[in-house]
Amino acid sequence: MSTGSGTDVRRLEQLSALADGELDDAATALSCAHWRGDARVRATWHAYHVIGDVLRSDDLATDPARDAEFLRSLRARLVAEPVVIAPQPIPWLGRQGDPSALRAATGRADRWKVPGAVAAGLVAVAGVFMLTRGVEPNAPGEVAVARADAGVTAVPMVVGTRRGEATAVVDGSASGPVPVSDRILIRDARLDAYLAAHKQFAGSSALGVPSSFLRSATVDAPRR
Amino acid sequence: MNASDADAALVEKVRLGDVKAFEMLVVKYQRRIERLIGRMVRDVDLVPDIAQETFIRAYRAIPQFRGESAFYTWLYRIAVNTAKKALMELKRDPLVAESARASSRDEDDETSRVENELSDGETPDAVLASKQIAAAVNLAIESLSEELRQAITLREIEGLSYEEIAEMMNCPIGTVRSRIFRAREAIAQRLRPLLDTRVGERW
Repeated sequence: MSTGSGTDVRRLEQLSALADGELDDAATALSCAHWRGDARVRATWHAYHVIGDVLRSDDLATDPARDAEFLRSLRARLVAEPVVIAPQPIPWLGRQGDPSALRAATGRADRWKVPGAVAAGLVAVAGVFMLTRGVEPNAPGEVAVARADAGVTAVPMVVGTRRGEATAVVDGSASGPVPVSDRILIRDARLDAYLAAHKQFAGSSALGVPSSFLRSATVDAPRR
Repeated sequence: MNASDADAALVEKVRLGDVKAFEMLVVKYQRRIERLIGRMVRDVDLVPDIAQETFIRAYRAIPQFRGESAFYTWLYRIAVNTAKKALMELKRDPLVAESARASSRDEDDETSRVENELSDGETPDAVLASKQIAAAVNLAIESLSEELRQAITLREIEGLSYEEIAEMMNCPIGTVRSRIFRAREAIAQRLRPLLDTRVGERW
């Protein structure tokens, strides 16, 4: 199969799997490195996505020069932005919190377990509150259940760097415009019961989340 | 199609400071975002700027993205908000607002002709290029073997995971992955002459 001079077929197959979110962490890192270093890989990534877009709708067909110009322009603006770092892993919920619908994007399908016991659900809930609690200056009291990896920083932060020079770390809430987002509300009866029993959490509104917004604890998110 | 899983690995890399991973997401969604914005803001000249602004806002807000919706859903909302904001700002400038908003005009109006001049995205060359690409993809799809066509259709149009496709096609996941890749490459072969000029400079 001819894929252009010097471009490894295996690299492109991994790139194809990455486009579908079906690549493990290690292979993802490698694919991203290839994307960075090889213009043909970048062109192929673009081609694969144009193919997908056009399959869904002819009016997404493109003038390729324009797409490349768009990226070049954006790149120039991104260089001027502080590098964004938010090390806390996202508890990916998949479709409506159903773990069986969550594909192993990182190749580890066993990361996601549905907690059978209420206690496990409470641990996950506590994990969520620990995350939001971290940015709230006057958090009332401490959560009784400790997280396993207390050493991990829960606060999303923006680190200002320009070409490798580190500057001050600021709280995530001080970053640029935050999009208005109507989040999907997923309710869990166990969560409601837990919160009713612990009314001091009812007013928690770190990161601008309305206090009536509750996040489901139906998946246990083991920390990496 | 639930894209949250498909984008999880790249989004996590962005959150760890990998800006290039964000660029990969930009290349993935740029066309869809521009089409969305184009439906809201009729002046095509404004679309790339608003799309760029969308991606910059998304990049800044990545720490606030928590996976409650698909990444693309979240990005889509940012695009809508950014376009709305741009429209609001345009309303304050009557001269700009005239050309930005869709309106029924007298076709013979001289001012109208000037304002309706084609932008970069709509030059005859650009329109031809995109039509050629659409035609090449559609032709290539027709030429695929049944199993390759089915695999890529289930993935790209139905949005099924490899696991789901494997079940439907009654084959191992590895085979699904290989078929989708081979389908893409077969189509890309037809596209590369159209897309690949000056690859090194372009990308």
